[in-house]
Amino acid sequence: MILTGDKIKKENKKGNIGIRPFCDEQVNPNSYNYRLGKSLKELESFKDSKPVFKEIEIPKEGYVLNPKKLYLGHTSEIIGSNKYSMSLIGRSSLGRLGLYLQISANLGHVTSSHKWTLELVALKPIIVYPEMIIGQVSFWKNYGKIDKFKSVYIKQDKPLESQLGL
Amino acid sequence: MILTGNKIKKEVKKGNIIIGDFDIENISTNSYDICLGNKIIKYTDDILDPKKENKYEEIIIPEDGLVLEKGSFRLGSSNEIIGSTKYVPIIHARSGIARLGLFVHVTADLIDIGSIGKITFQLHATVPIKIYPGLKIAQVSFWKPKGKIILYEGKYQGSDGPVTSKTYLDY
Repeated sequence: MILTGDKIKKENKKGNIGIRPFCDEQVNPNSYNYRLGKSLKELESFKDSKPVFKEIEIPKEGYVLNPKKLYLGHTSEIIGSNKYSMSLIGRSSLGRLGLYLQISANLGHVTSSHKWTLELVALKPIIVYPEMIIGQVSFWKNYGKIDKFKSVYIKQDKPLESQLGL
Repeated sequence: MILTGNKIKKEVKKGNIIIGDFDIENISTNSYDICLGNKIIKYTDDILDPKKENKYEEIIIPEDGLVLEKGSFRLGSSNEIIGSTKYVPIIHARSGIARLGLFVHVTADLIDIGSIGKITFQLHATVPIKIYPGLKIAQVSFWKPKGKIILYEGKYQGSDGPVTSKTYLDY
């Protein structure tokens, strides 16, 4: 079952969901709107088959994302839950501008809590601004006993590159 | 919990799910198939800016089809009005369309409870593909929510065709 906005608000108060900072105005009927953090990484090239990223701090006046490029960004908020699984996606307003917020990896595991890495792909050049409302996260009830998730991505607060092969 | 096709049918009858014009033939085991309307939108600005109203043009898809070039991005809409005051709709491509490399949304599959209108498709062709008016392009599933329902009253309510981003209203 997917949580309604009202339930997300209540569970955040109880501590079963942890969205920090939390703002009532960012609650939707069945999701919560998150903001774009200001650090970006732009995939520039590969060296010895390892990706080389350029680090960018998004200026106030915005930064243009270009098509055919991969950028890693992050949510401004820490988002997590010990009770619910999460699905992190874009907003319809940004989808309508052709901006992907993740690459078919929307599932957030129960017990994980961090600033989420976003995989940004633009279909047309688009300006992004620091702290803009850019996507939404929904919360889903679990069925079964919850075991703690062991992951290398669990304590991240900046865009984190792929840790495959480590 | 996801609704079965049978439950979708019953909830349409009760008015808890709104699908216009409802056609029983479009029910599948866990979803309802939706068709592409005949109007599409192409942005004409070189750089899109979420803080302003971006320029665009409307194109009517001819009966004999329109080719979306590889990598192109267009907005389309469903023929049907879709919504629910009790369940959360989620939009998916039909598997047959996905197998042709066409995205029908750009990481925005979730519809708010209480949002009722024609769905705006975010069409992204990864290979050249021909689209036709009325093409069965997508499907909508319905999910049971937990918690008190507060219905959507947002900026896209009552959409009657493809609608461009209104994110500039947030600023």
